[in-house]
Amino acid sequence: MGDFRLPDLGEGLTEGEILQWFVEVGDTVTLNQPIVEVETAKAAVEIPSPFAGVVTAIHHPAGTTVDVGSVIISFTSADAPADDLVPEPAPEQPAPVEQQGALIGEVGPGGRTATLVGYGPRAGTATRRPRVDVPQPSAPAAAPPPETAARVSAAGVGQAAARQAAQVTVLAKPPVRKLAKELGVELAALAGSGRGGVITREDVEAAAGEGAAYASGLPAVLDAGERRIPVKGVRKVMAEAMAQSAFTAPHVTEFLTLDVTPTMELVQRLRAMPDLEGVKVTPLLLVAKALLLAVRRNPEVNSTFTGDEIVVKDQVNLGIAAATPRGLVVPNIKGADRMPLPDLARALQDLTETAKAGKTQPADMQGGTITITNVGVFGIDTGTPIINPGESAILAFGAVRPMPWVVDGQVVPRQVTTLALSFDHRHIDGHLGSQVLADVGRVLADPATALVWS
Amino acid sequence: MAQLTMAKALNEGLRAAMERDPKVLVMGEDVGKLGGVFRVTDGLQKDFGEARVMDTPLAESGIVGTAIGLAIRGYRPVCEIQFDGFVYPAYDQIVSQLAKIHARSKGSVPMPVVIRIPYGGGIGAVEHHSESPEAYFAHTAGLKVVTCSHPADAWAMIQQVVASDDPVIFFEPKRRYWEKAEVDTDAPLPDPASLWQARVVRSGTDATLVAYGPMVRTCLDAAAAAEDEGRSLEVLDLRSLAPLDFATVLASVRRTKRAVVVHEAPRNVGLGAEIAARLSEQLYYEMEAPVLRVTGFDTPYPPSRLEEEYLPDLDRVLHAVDRSLAY
Repeated sequence: MGDFRLPDLGEGLTEGEILQWFVEVGDTVTLNQPIVEVETAKAAVEIPSPFAGVVTAIHHPAGTTVDVGSVIISFTSADAPADDLVPEPAPEQPAPVEQQGALIGEVGPGGRTATLVGYGPRAGTATRRPRVDVPQPSAPAAAPPPETAARVSAAGVGQAAARQAAQVTVLAKPPVRKLAKELGVELAALAGSGRGGVITREDVEAAAGEGAAYASGLPAVLDAGERRIPVKGVRKVMAEAMAQSAFTAPHVTEFLTLDVTPTMELVQRLRAMPDLEGVKVTPLLLVAKALLLAVRRNPEVNSTFTGDEIVVKDQVNLGIAAATPRGLVVPNIKGADRMPLPDLARALQDLTETAKAGKTQPADMQGGTITITNVGVFGIDTGTPIINPGESAILAFGAVRPMPWVVDGQVVPRQVTTLALSFDHRHIDGHLGSQVLADVGRVLADPATALVWS
Repeated sequence: MAQLTMAKALNEGLRAAMERDPKVLVMGEDVGKLGGVFRVTDGLQKDFGEARVMDTPLAESGIVGTAIGLAIRGYRPVCEIQFDGFVYPAYDQIVSQLAKIHARSKGSVPMPVVIRIPYGGGIGAVEHHSESPEAYFAHTAGLKVVTCSHPADAWAMIQQVVASDDPVIFFEPKRRYWEKAEVDTDAPLPDPASLWQARVVRSGTDATLVAYGPMVRTCLDAAAAAEDEGRSLEVLDLRSLAPLDFATVLASVRRTKRAVVVHEAPRNVGLGAEIAARLSEQLYYEMEAPVLRVTGFDTPYPPSRLEEEYLPDLDRVLHAVDRSLAY
């Protein structure tokens, strides 16, 4: 037995008028036999029967207007007698009829909302199907993503992609690149631990010697217009050391401007000497030598003030302040005072190159006894340097430039520089400090002095 | 407050707009006697008369062209394009005339025309009845394009677009027409500027789902499912596609550092492409993953029995979230 409801005969129809019935109760109808003519707002339509069977009831006579979805005619199976009122399972119905079960705008069987047009929307699921796989982003060096692969039709294009990938030397996403820049880490030097060789945030942090400390998730950029650079590693060490030194040791800085033309000439002559072949001879080397000679004549400056005592060091570990991509580091040359000039030159060169590469080891920076800072390389005349903690003096070497200078009552152009010496006034008095600076100056003004003092 | 479907909310909003201003007209195919295929204009002709609610011939170009003329003479026509896929005959009128007249007249002729378009799939309909053509219009300077996702929003937004002096294409997500929610029809209309603002409809910290229209519901469902997996997803409803409220998108993605854009329209040159481009321009160093898109496919809209494979759903959204978080 089946009920037939008035279907939507066109877009947007809600009702139709039954013009005439082609069948009567008791008639046997075949599938698709026209059974009724209905007039809608758009047209008069003959409706075919979706069932084969015997008509058991006609619910609306001709001339009545019927809402879409109302039952208009009922059938029983063709095999069953017409008066058999025992309900039977409904015959298999074609899909459109199934949609007639609900009024427009209401949810019908199958969870679909009945509509005038279409099967009607179905409420989406709110739960997730089980995952098939956990997707991983493919590194550029690996296979191209599926979308790309699907679009690549020519065989040659894949090879081109592989070639291109081989040229990519650094694989890191933008925030990691930014982090590396801030920490002064050279990405090209790192081996990526991520999938396909991708350099991860952890790789960069490890290279910067930071470890987990940086992973706090503090956004580096909070607002347009300002940058927040985390104070970590070298920067942090520098900040702590400088603050501790400046606020613990009372600093006195003295200046000495002098003619270093003989030293500059000596640099040229030393460069030609076979003993110094292959090493860099720089003015800084001679300043270092001059300071070492001054320390030999005034050993108390090579010391540490502990509060209870003054610890004078037998050996000079000569610190050289160096600007590196990661910030200020002060590695030192151990036993510099016992080195012949070529060894000192070589040590100075190694120290500088190591620092510039950012590879200075912590041991290289420990145990310094006195330091030189070469602010002259920045074109600066002089400064008031802050003593490296644990030491008692620091010498600033300013730029050497041609200046008018009075020699024997005549103004002549000479190579002139300014030296500045900061010392810890807790235990180094003005006399001692001045003597050290004067001694350095004497050697640089006349390098022959070095022969006398050696 | 009443529980209203989105279709009923739009109906109430239109009614309020017509009551407020006698210059407001409604015109379109079957909008009068029938009350619209989706019942959005139900009862309006009965109450406001055939002069204000007009059944038009089946000619979209004529509907919009007539509306332009009416607007020049001071009316505020609200056109209904019965289905998304029917709008193309009117495309010339919309792009060549409607979008241009305000500029062409040096600002002296406003164009307060609203074109309502039920759009998107999910109702099992035939060809031309399930498309998402919003990008065509968002690309055209001189047009504003907005879309609602919630009954309360629909009620307010339809009134705001009628009040706008600029031409607005108003997209209605047809598969959400029957979803009910509380709508306060006595509430004062929000500030006109709010029409162009995106909205955070769910707060989260791990990734931002950027959606509009029919996909907002899908993304909210996805975010709820993700919460069970311990993931906190933020959901944005763009609401205005042109102009785009990019500041809200930027603020959200700056916090979450990951974005997935979801729309039914095909991927190629869609809204997702624009949003991805702007995010990479402005947040290049901050995003932890590329902007991913979950969209319809670059094919004609499929026959209705296949549409559930075509439409972005909860699983496809969450799969993209997995991919984003794996970077």
